[in-house]
Amino acid sequence: MIHQYQNNGYNIVMDVVSGAVHVVDQVCYDVIAGICKSDEADGFEACKGLQEGPGITAETLKEPETFQKLAAELNGRYSEEEIGEALRDVIELTEAGQLFTEDTYECLIDEVKKRKTVVKALCLHIAHDCNLACRYCFAEEGEYHGRRALMSYEVGKKALDFLIASSGGRHNLEVDFFGGEPLMNWQVVKDLVAYGREQEKIHDKHFRFTLTTNGVLLNDEVQAFVNREMDNVVLSLDGRREVNDRMRPFRNGAGSYDLIVPKFQRLADSRGQERYYVRGTFTRENLDFAEDILHFADLGFKQMSIEPVVGDEDDPYAIRVSDLPAIMEEYDKLAKVMIEREKEGKGFNFFHFMIDLDGGPCVAKRLSGCGSGTEYLAVTPWGDLYPCHQFVGQEEFLMGNVDEGIVRPEIADDFRSCNVYSKEKCRDCFAKFYCSGGCMANAYHFHGTIHDTYEIGCEMQRKRVECAIMIKAALAE
Amino acid sequence: MKHVKTLNTHTMNNSLKKGGCGECQTSCQSACKTSCTVGNQTCEQKK
Repeated sequence: MIHQYQNNGYNIVMDVVSGAVHVVDQVCYDVIAGICKSDEADGFEACKGLQEGPGITAETLKEPETFQKLAAELNGRYSEEEIGEALRDVIELTEAGQLFTEDTYECLIDEVKKRKTVVKALCLHIAHDCNLACRYCFAEEGEYHGRRALMSYEVGKKALDFLIASSGGRHNLEVDFFGGEPLMNWQVVKDLVAYGREQEKIHDKHFRFTLTTNGVLLNDEVQAFVNREMDNVVLSLDGRREVNDRMRPFRNGAGSYDLIVPKFQRLADSRGQERYYVRGTFTRENLDFAEDILHFADLGFKQMSIEPVVGDEDDPYAIRVSDLPAIMEEYDKLAKVMIEREKEGKGFNFFHFMIDLDGGPCVAKRLSGCGSGTEYLAVTPWGDLYPCHQFVGQEEFLMGNVDEGIVRPEIADDFRSCNVYSKEKCRDCFAKFYCSGGCMANAYHFHGTIHDTYEIGCEMQRKRVECAIMIKAALAE
Repeated sequence: MKHVKTLNTHTMNNSLKKGGCGECQTSCQSACKTSCTVGNQTCEQKK
């Protein structure tokens, strides 16, 4: 499967199955497009990943007919010598397994579905309560379609015990203190970290704790503890003051920006500008969200993420299909500015443009997806288990609890069976091994089944992958 | 090659041989919480 695109003056060719990424000149770009076009005209769709025929191999490319077809197709644009030379490069890449690579993963998918999974990560809903009243909150201001509640130390302890007992041979275990706002139940967070540190020695495990906070209650004591114990900390902020304060007010309507920003700046500096993210949400009310990311950078932050809001179609702030062209432009604009800033020595990380072409996840990880419902579970304040934080409060996804463990394993089986090959819309998508089928909660939200995709999210994901790779191309010069 | 510059030295299918150790970070724990970002995670074996 091949995906080729042009962005910011670069001709980029992705060999989707091998993950190889090439920057090519115009003649080579057109030769590859010509090969795909000819394959499609012959009734095969190898380049689209819908291979019904013999596929494209180095041998088929070496056939005289391939060159003749290309020469006819590109006649007048390039000399036969140029076409022949580019074709030889294409053949060399194909022989090296870096172009037109055949999909050999699909036959592994039964193994992926049947694999024995262990639980390695929990999202602990330490507080179903919040001191902000963000308009877009999927947790309904912390309450998750339910009541306000704080997790007790006893429930949290049982959750950590459940994680250790369910984690098999995994050494690294992740626990995110999430909410609502976890600092509203801070003593329990600290006590659970202490309990985890004690238990990890006994069971030869290592806990990686993370905290997701809105910063309202962040103080020196919290900061010192977080820096000592938390592998990562996610700091919620939406960007420019007016953008943040419109969506993230206090319950009395006052803005939160002025209180929070100095605390986040101090925390980020105290961590050496590493192992944290300032994380925002953009909505259709700030489609110029690149300005918010640059605002973060101008505030001195180096690690940042801005996620598109997910909301019902009738929510005034929800992203609509008609917003996509503006969003695409915004990602392009951001990518160009990031290249400039990097070259000026003022670079920063944007989470959605992070891509590691050499050291990224293995195929097994890419085929198995985000792990929700199997490796990753959410725990409510009273100890119920759900496939992830976004399913909390939807009773049909209640999987069990910290006392009895998983009592509805069929839910885990359903999540385990969901992958890029089980979703029709993923089959011919070039980004399938980057998103691994996308967010199942979003699919359920929009289609009533986890075995589908959220198309607006997919469009944005594809664009982000393209921009991330273009940045790599630009910085490789 | 005159016409091509390849950006990566390793290809993904090499990782098939080793299989998945599962020690890597769960994607939603990293920063997103509302999307799916498997592709930008780092392999624990290559750290």
